[in-house]
Amino acid sequence: MPTLISAKSNWFSSEALWIGLVIVAAYGIIPLAGTDYLLDAVLTPFLALSLAAVGLNVLTGYAGQVSLGSAAFLAVGAYAAYNLHLRFPALPLLIDLVLAGGVAAAIGIVFGLPSLRLRGFYLAVSTLAAQFFVQWALTKFSWFSNDNPSGVIDAPTLSIGGVAFTSPAERYVFTLTVVIVLTLLTLRLLRSQSGRNFIAVRDHEIAARVIGVPLLRTKLLAFAASSFLIGVAGVLWAFAYLRTVEPAGFNLDRSFQILFIIIIGGLASLRGSFIGAAFIVVFPLLLSRIGAALLGSVFDSGVLEMSQRIVIGGLIIVFLSAEPRGLIALWDRAWAAIRPANRSLLPS
Amino acid sequence: MTAIATGARVFRLEDSPPHRCADASGGQREEALEGRAEHAAKTPVRPALGLAHISLTFGGVAALREVDLDVAEGEIRAVIGPNGAGKSSLLNIVSGLYRPDRGEVWFGERSFREVPTSKLAGLGVARTFQNLALFKGLSVFDNVLMGLAHRVRAGFLQQIVGSPLARRIEAENRAAAEEVIGFLHLTEVRDRLAGTLPYGVQKGVELARALVTRPKLLLLDEPFAGVTLAEKRELSQHVRNARDSFGTTIVLIEHDIGVVMGLSDRVAVLDYGRKIADGTPAQVRTDPAVIDAYLGVAHETDTEFEI
Repeated sequence: MPTLISAKSNWFSSEALWIGLVIVAAYGIIPLAGTDYLLDAVLTPFLALSLAAVGLNVLTGYAGQVSLGSAAFLAVGAYAAYNLHLRFPALPLLIDLVLAGGVAAAIGIVFGLPSLRLRGFYLAVSTLAAQFFVQWALTKFSWFSNDNPSGVIDAPTLSIGGVAFTSPAERYVFTLTVVIVLTLLTLRLLRSQSGRNFIAVRDHEIAARVIGVPLLRTKLLAFAASSFLIGVAGVLWAFAYLRTVEPAGFNLDRSFQILFIIIIGGLASLRGSFIGAAFIVVFPLLLSRIGAALLGSVFDSGVLEMSQRIVIGGLIIVFLSAEPRGLIALWDRAWAAIRPANRSLLPS
Repeated sequence: MTAIATGARVFRLEDSPPHRCADASGGQREEALEGRAEHAAKTPVRPALGLAHISLTFGGVAALREVDLDVAEGEIRAVIGPNGAGKSSLLNIVSGLYRPDRGEVWFGERSFREVPTSKLAGLGVARTFQNLALFKGLSVFDNVLMGLAHRVRAGFLQQIVGSPLARRIEAENRAAAEEVIGFLHLTEVRDRLAGTLPYGVQKGVELARALVTRPKLLLLDEPFAGVTLAEKRELSQHVRNARDSFGTTIVLIEHDIGVVMGLSDRVAVLDYGRKIADGTPAQVRTDPAVIDAYLGVAHETDTEFEI
């Protein structure tokens, strides 16, 4: 018993240490690798998509409810924050951010209602309704985009208490801070009884019901929390990364991209969401740069573009057949092989 | 809360001591039952669980027909029968997963046409499943902790920020889970993922998850199916301990006649959805209808029923 307790506290401290190291590295990277291109075109979208993947992982990885409507909630977050800023200029940006997440959560709850009857592929198909409805509504009603005929919105400057975040480095810091705070809060939620309820509903719904897990509340909480996170990710995507967005940018492809991030990174793993996002966002850029540098003189860019997709598709097949639980499980296995003593201390 | 529950348990133990002599021979057991019946006549108490005229059909096929069953407080009550006799259907009706076509389910003073599954834990009823129903992605400890999910009244925001209420409930539940894990000797596998454990151990974890609430009524659906003989002995000891230490009333569905005869106070026999016999193990064992329907040609070979 005493050994168990000490192992437990070790585990916590080693986990806290890792989180601390990653956070320090994430803030410390700016002056080191701080080319505007890297921050603006790679790291900021990586962080926004990571947060969206964390959100979808709460719903799909932990609570077991498949959703194909992620991009819709990105759009809801982005357009809600835009309208809140436009129509209530007195509200501070942070409040806009939270309220936009709240709007996405409310719509997530509505589209989560079918989950009480449907599961698996059938639920996934019903979440497509969210995808198509939101895109349609944003295009159809020009009120959402302040009467812009094509539905395009220009994001306002990010500023909190008079401090403006305009340069790529500043927008990166803003995004990073929001993503860290929300990821840590999500970790708290998942470690609480609500988080255990998610997994119970995913693993054995009937047993969960007999035990007294409130199914309705648990599923809708999963949809709400997930949509909140994805909605805030949408605000970051629109305000900190692209700064000009249109409804077509939040199409089904984007939903699939986020779903692939969590499948490739690892379902039911917050770390997997980040690794998956890194693979999907950063790796193609890396590959095209390397390809252009090495073979740019031999092949034209169209051929390079196509072969890059083939390489990524092939790698996904290789990774997932080596480890269906995603890149994070591969990483953990590699880590355990290097440091056998750490086998039991790996955070999940 | 624990103190109250303990108090009630002590009262109950003193209230009906005779039937807990597990080694009593059939004759003594009958006397004990009569004694209890007299006692009950003086202070009329509803049985811990009562089924009245339960009928259930699946698309015209009768799974249960007019089944009556009463389970006294603190009793280990077995329901046996051949495959398809309706045993599991009976438990699923008691836990509200099926709605009977006719009949009522009584928990003490309260009767239900259809048992509300979501309130089952609150009514003090816990169950296990014939095929394991653990949460594979959770550790053994978290699985056991899940048994107390219905006690968590703090909202999710309180859980995230760690409000005093949320922290107090969490601490209480963790203590209760630790206790049951110790009680069922699961300490060594406490932090393992439930899905990675051997079948027999998983059965034990499921029992722990049901017992952590200190249920008044525990429904066990074939708890010994598919486990080794050693595990069978250990599990049946746990079941008996649960009754003896917590005063839990236990309804047990089982195929393994040997375990049932040694463990139960009373046995009901189902065949083709009908109750064909009900009584002490000794009575049931010699009932001609049971021998015909279930035990086949196993006349006069009592040794077969012992473990």
